[in-house]
Amino acid sequence: MAATTSTFHCAVITPERVILDCEAQSVMFPAHDGEMGILTHRAPLVCKLGVGTLRVETGGQKQLFLIDGGFAQMLNNRLSILTQFAQKSSEIQPGDAEKTLSKAREIKIRDEASLEARTRAFRRAQIQLKLARSA
Amino acid sequence: MANARVIIKRRKSVRNIRKITRTMQLIATARFQAAFSRAVAARPYVERMTELVADISNAVEGEISHPLIKPRENAKHSALLVITSNRGLCGGFNANVLRKATAHLAESPDTDVFMVGKKGVNYFRFLKRDMAERITDLGDLPRFDQVEPYANRFMEGFAKGQWASVHVCYMRFHSVTRQTPEALRLLPLSAAPATDAKKLVPRKDVQYEYSPAPAELLAELLPATARIRLFQCFIDAAVGEQVARMVAMKAATDAASDMITSLTRRYNRARQTQITMELLDIVSGANALA
Repeated sequence: MAATTSTFHCAVITPERVILDCEAQSVMFPAHDGEMGILTHRAPLVCKLGVGTLRVETGGQKQLFLIDGGFAQMLNNRLSILTQFAQKSSEIQPGDAEKTLSKAREIKIRDEASLEARTRAFRRAQIQLKLARSA
Repeated sequence: MANARVIIKRRKSVRNIRKITRTMQLIATARFQAAFSRAVAARPYVERMTELVADISNAVEGEISHPLIKPRENAKHSALLVITSNRGLCGGFNANVLRKATAHLAESPDTDVFMVGKKGVNYFRFLKRDMAERITDLGDLPRFDQVEPYANRFMEGFAKGQWASVHVCYMRFHSVTRQTPEALRLLPLSAAPATDAKKLVPRKDVQYEYSPAPAELLAELLPATARIRLFQCFIDAAVGEQVARMVAMKAATDAASDMITSLTRRYNRARQTQITMELLDIVSGANALA
């Protein structure tokens, strides 16, 4: 099999619906400790996700998503991205980043967990803005 | 004369009621389809999540210890979340859930009740029973981000030792024809999945690469499982409510139709009697004159 034609199955799943379900050539996702790339025939993997941009390359096209937390599972050429929050870059509205930002500001820092939640929300707003600009 | 007119009036009002119930049935059907498709859309996440938990639990050596699994005997109180509807006219939906809830409360009286839905709030107010919280601002189709804060609160309270257990009383949706009220134990988390998913066979042969370590991953996965289980309860309840309303309104429409038929018969008979009487009057009058 030629490297350029081999694909694997990729699904982005949130609690509410399946956002993406397709064959992909490569996927880059934000792991908890940095970006991670997946190609066909990757060894089985379970990985915790962080906040960031998910890049899926399907048939020469690149799709971008904002995801926040969750897990990635790669098994038998099937990659499942399970995340609580995923948004396609083309579906990000201009005001979304501002909304996330104001929500992030509302989070009061009381302990470590709330500090983390606040930082996370800020990061989400930042990426939302970036994706909205590039789209 | 008066009799026939009274029947006509009644038939008219029954007809109007039938119009209303039929419309409500149609609306419930549309809402049911929306709720049902959401329930179906939520399924893949639950299935994958359960699969992951099963896989990772296998990889963790020794006993799994996590604050959400450990039972807490020393806590006096427990928590109960009851999911009812905001609106009525849905048959036995709320009554069944509330009966289950009161039965549960009879067993463990020291329970903080979190009541979802106006119907349940009104019932408990009528019983003069205290509720820790009244939640009436969730719409017909609760979103995940609406449910998540409650899940987080329950987990936090449970981890702190505030509650011995957290139960959810809701209408479980098996199929369109079968829903049962159920008191599900949300915390401490049990190994059995909340879904009807087929028995999970541990796949020993898969050698995953883990990042971070399996135990750490599990510590993240378990709260996520609790959240999704609670979300499922809400989705089930939403679907169940619409089904119950659909069935109730169908029954009401059918009953109204039956009533109209029998009223029409009674009206015809009354009219016939009236005509006969009038004829008799005329004939006997004419006979008397002759």
